[in-house]
Amino acid sequence: MSISEPFLWVSVCAIFYAAAVMFWSRVAALRNRNGTTWFSAGHELPSWVGALLMAGASVSGWFILGGTQEITKHGFSLPGILQAGVMLCLPGVLFFKRLWYVGQRLRVSSQAELFRVYYRSEFLVFATTFVALMFAVGFSGLQLRFVSEMLATLGGDIVSSQIIGFLIVLLLFGYVVIGGMRAIGFVGAVQAVLLLAAIVFIAGYALYVSGGIEALVKGLQAKAGNPASAVLFEVSGVLQFSAGLGRDNFYGHGGTAVMSLGLALAFMGFQTSPLAAKIVLSMKSADGIAASQTWLQAAFIGGLIVAGIVLIGAAGFVNSEWAITGLLSMMQLQSAWFAAWALIAVVAGIQLLAGLGLLVASENLVRVIYKPYFQGTLDRKATVLLTRICVGLLALIALLMQSLAPVTLSAFAGLALPLSIQLFTPLLGITWFRWITRPAAICGVGFGMAAVLLTEPFGYQVLSYVGLELPWGRWPWTVHSAAWGAFFNILSVLIISAITDRTAHREEAIDIQNFLDANFGLQTNSRVLKPIAWSAALAWLFFAIGPGLVFGNFAFGSNSETEAEGGIWVLGIPSMWAWSILFWMLGVVLVWLLAYRMEMANMTLIDVSAYEPKPRLRKNQSDKERERIRFSLGFVASVGSIIVLLAWSFG
Amino acid sequence: MRDDRKLLVFCIWSVLGFLGMGFILEGLSRDSYLAGLLGVCTIVAAFIGHIIVNYLNKQGFEPGETALGLGLFGLICLLFVVGWIVSETSQTDYYIAITLFAVLSIGMIAYLSSRYGMRQAFSRFHIKPTSYEDNEK
Repeated sequence: MSISEPFLWVSVCAIFYAAAVMFWSRVAALRNRNGTTWFSAGHELPSWVGALLMAGASVSGWFILGGTQEITKHGFSLPGILQAGVMLCLPGVLFFKRLWYVGQRLRVSSQAELFRVYYRSEFLVFATTFVALMFAVGFSGLQLRFVSEMLATLGGDIVSSQIIGFLIVLLLFGYVVIGGMRAIGFVGAVQAVLLLAAIVFIAGYALYVSGGIEALVKGLQAKAGNPASAVLFEVSGVLQFSAGLGRDNFYGHGGTAVMSLGLALAFMGFQTSPLAAKIVLSMKSADGIAASQTWLQAAFIGGLIVAGIVLIGAAGFVNSEWAITGLLSMMQLQSAWFAAWALIAVVAGIQLLAGLGLLVASENLVRVIYKPYFQGTLDRKATVLLTRICVGLLALIALLMQSLAPVTLSAFAGLALPLSIQLFTPLLGITWFRWITRPAAICGVGFGMAAVLLTEPFGYQVLSYVGLELPWGRWPWTVHSAAWGAFFNILSVLIISAITDRTAHREEAIDIQNFLDANFGLQTNSRVLKPIAWSAALAWLFFAIGPGLVFGNFAFGSNSETEAEGGIWVLGIPSMWAWSILFWMLGVVLVWLLAYRMEMANMTLIDVSAYEPKPRLRKNQSDKERERIRFSLGFVASVGSIIVLLAWSFG
Repeated sequence: MRDDRKLLVFCIWSVLGFLGMGFILEGLSRDSYLAGLLGVCTIVAAFIGHIIVNYLNKQGFEPGETALGLGLFGLICLLFVVGWIVSETSQTDYYIAITLFAVLSIGMIAYLSSRYGMRQAFSRFHIKPTSYEDNEK
């Protein structure tokens, strides 16, 4: 088979895909009625589209590209990845239903606006925007870079990875700019279906290549029989007091139970992100949230991860030639059409997240920050135009960083999820715990984000650049940065809420609290279930992703004694894999219990009238806006000068 | 609502349609009837999904969809005949193509007759010009 055949099939599939994307963006543009509903699709995205969009964006290209590679490299030592399906949906069960009703009540369409109205905090607005930028530029940019390189390699380098990256970003820019959120919804539904189908297909192919499940298990047993790789079948204890990656050695490896917990917390970051909030706030109703979180996310995607992603990763673990790139390469030689379709499906999954990230980040920059601060008189048409320009600029930055600053891109990508999970405390404050005060929410996010930055390469490299060497590396004590952040976040919230006035809320916040109390009180049977649900959730967290993971090392057989040596895996698969499958199933039951029986995510039939703020006179802000522009220009010039000075001083 | 239906149909065909086509190509290139049959079954599954979506939306196939479907059917027939004439067609290739055409034809007749009844199904194609109807009266 000549090299041109795979290239030809990829081109054919890419043309069909681009045509489909442009068709749906045109449909979206026509429904947008001259741009008036460009930002949030007029809050009329159907529930099933929202569910698919959420599922596709949660999985994105990370699990097929990054998740499989993690398993290929680290075996079963990070079982937090295997529980990602359940972890991904827990914040959704907790927040989405209430978030949707609060959004309807306050008539807001983004997380940043919600924080501004509820907490009157500009810090939280900027923090949310920063997180959205990390997703748009870093997290998606890195995935785009990976897939562009993969496409270039598999296409025999006929077209360079830069040109492929440019074409992918151009298409992305096109549909986001033309159709806005509605196009992201319409195209995203197709992209999500393609991505999920491609994962199933590639998993099936991995099984076929490795000779079936029996041959794969034999390969795994051979790995378990080798002392060097045997440690990769289990977590290396609960915690190790090491100085972190790049600074210290580990006993065995760094995959402890607490590391898995932190990683799982990071996965939860997507659903606390402004991207997920955007999807929820653009939906027509909240009636599909329970079903989408329980059956689509926890059951289907959870199953896809614990079976499909593990199969692909395990094939690469057994034989490095069967890692994801190798698998696609082999598929290309055997049937070019399937390989082309699978590759385009992965590109679609990445574009789904990237498009959403670009829209949310641009909206935050223009509509939530620029307009109120610098140009309050900006009308809707001009706001949409500026946001479109911003989408283009951010897409260009992401594209340039792929080639010019891959290390920084990688550092940004590593920040997106751990930073995003820090937004869970203000969300908790809005939806559940009215005792979380404004200062507590702000300090919690601030300390949490600082802890993340100081335990990730980006933070310590910046400090190292100015001569401050931190005594720890990445993820000290084998605790993931998301967990470090969450720890300081929760600690700050508890302490500051205890010492500040817990009744001092602004009138919008009080209205929301009263609204939620009046409409979402627990029914009698749910109250009875409350202690059971709490106990079940804590027990599940402890055993599935917490310290209880150490039991998974031996619960279903011994890893050190292979079949050849007389030992066996009780269920015929590695003990940790069997443990993960068991807790995935229990996790689905837990999510069902929380979503339906505890009424956290199921539909509540109420009429949501809009909150009417007291009429206030709007002051002329033009002088202040001019002053802010002058200050901002001065600030940017000063920061630029300092960076130049630092570069000149420290090299 | 119309967009909803279209989007659902699009999602179904973008996955099952392509997979079906891929398996049929796989069957033709590897001379494997089983792979070809799997492709035909996948196409049938896509049709069933499409019909379920139609049922949920209380409508039939749209004129554009019918035109596209019949056009593609004609194109595949043409490609098969051309391929048969200009290149060597193995027995398996022949069986795969016959299975596809047979399943699609029987499926279409079964769908039309179950939805409209035998007489009405025929009327879907046999469109009488107005002048002819007037003469009959």
